[in-house]
Amino acid sequence: MSMDVQLRLQTARALVITGLILYIPANILPVMTMTVVGDVEPLTVLGGVQELYDSGLGPIAGIVFLASIVVPFCKLAALSWLLLMHGSPLWQRQRGALRRIVHTVGSWSMVDIFLLSILAAVGQLGVLASVRAEPGALFFAAVLVSTLFASESYNSRMIWQTKEGLAP
Amino acid sequence: MSVEETGGMLSCSECGAACRDRALPPRAELRCGRCGMRVKKARGLASLQHAWAFATAGLFFAVLANMSPILTFDVAGNTQSNLIVTGVIELFRQGYWPVAALVFFAGLAGPVLHLAAVWYVAAACCLSCRWPALRHVAKLAESLESWNLVPVYAVATVVAVVRLEMLGTVDWQHGAFWVLVLSVCSLFTVQFFDHGLVEQGLEELT
Repeated sequence: MSMDVQLRLQTARALVITGLILYIPANILPVMTMTVVGDVEPLTVLGGVQELYDSGLGPIAGIVFLASIVVPFCKLAALSWLLLMHGSPLWQRQRGALRRIVHTVGSWSMVDIFLLSILAAVGQLGVLASVRAEPGALFFAAVLVSTLFASESYNSRMIWQTKEGLAP
Repeated sequence: MSVEETGGMLSCSECGAACRDRALPPRAELRCGRCGMRVKKARGLASLQHAWAFATAGLFFAVLANMSPILTFDVAGNTQSNLIVTGVIELFRQGYWPVAALVFFAGLAGPVLHLAAVWYVAAACCLSCRWPALRHVAKLAESLESWNLVPVYAVATVVAVVRLEMLGTVDWQHGAFWVLVLSVCSLFTVQFFDHGLVEQGLEELT
């Protein structure tokens, strides 16, 4: 294997492991605090989904749940599997398809970060309503960035490289 | 490129396999025998013309989407509105500059740069102009494709409205409409900006 492939593989592995570690605080720590008329409410990502669901907004809650919890997790799982399977001649077509899906679906987890930025922008009404970002947002953003670069680093050609070098 | 020029073989851009080249009838395509992805499409730069058109429209709407407020939020007579950039500024002010940078790049700079890069390359291919650094710009357009997250931003706006309606009065502003139009333009630009065709177009130019 060439140096370039080795380096890309290691980068991708390191980024996926980073993502897996950061995924835990990203979901445990609150992402934002909403203060509405003196009522302080720290919200985690899952808490936000729960609240949407409780107010009878099932479909929207579903979208946010899929985009911000299921997608990052599936992306990390899929990337780990691809990296573990590296060099094996099995299921190469399916792995190629999976990588494409991960690449296109992955960016939808940005919904939560954008949501935070919109809420932070309009939630500046002093005591009436205020929205502050919390450390969870940092971890969440870090997970997104590391998975994005990981899937960029492990490119589709590498799926087709077996231990004996590039297959014919 | 004709069959003779490539020596009868083409390399698949997805998996790198060598594929036998052949002359194609119009609208036909050549698929890789190993991974099944498209290797070559019958020539026709019409698709790039569409990409050019949508990128032009997209750039125009990007200006509008960034200049007009998207939502106004009203609690007990106090009103606050937002632009895409206000969210970035507010996150920065609260000390979360990495998150602010991410929003800035994915919601504002990325889409505009992506559209501009597509515009440059597609225009050069359509007009047969040998503009400088075409290959680099084409590469840039390709790598920025996953950073054009305006459609995601549009969905986030809808979620934000639902969220805020629990707390006060929310009103859509015309900026929201421009964001929607911009995201549609971005989606079509990505759809029509075929990397294989760009490769062929650039090959002819240089």
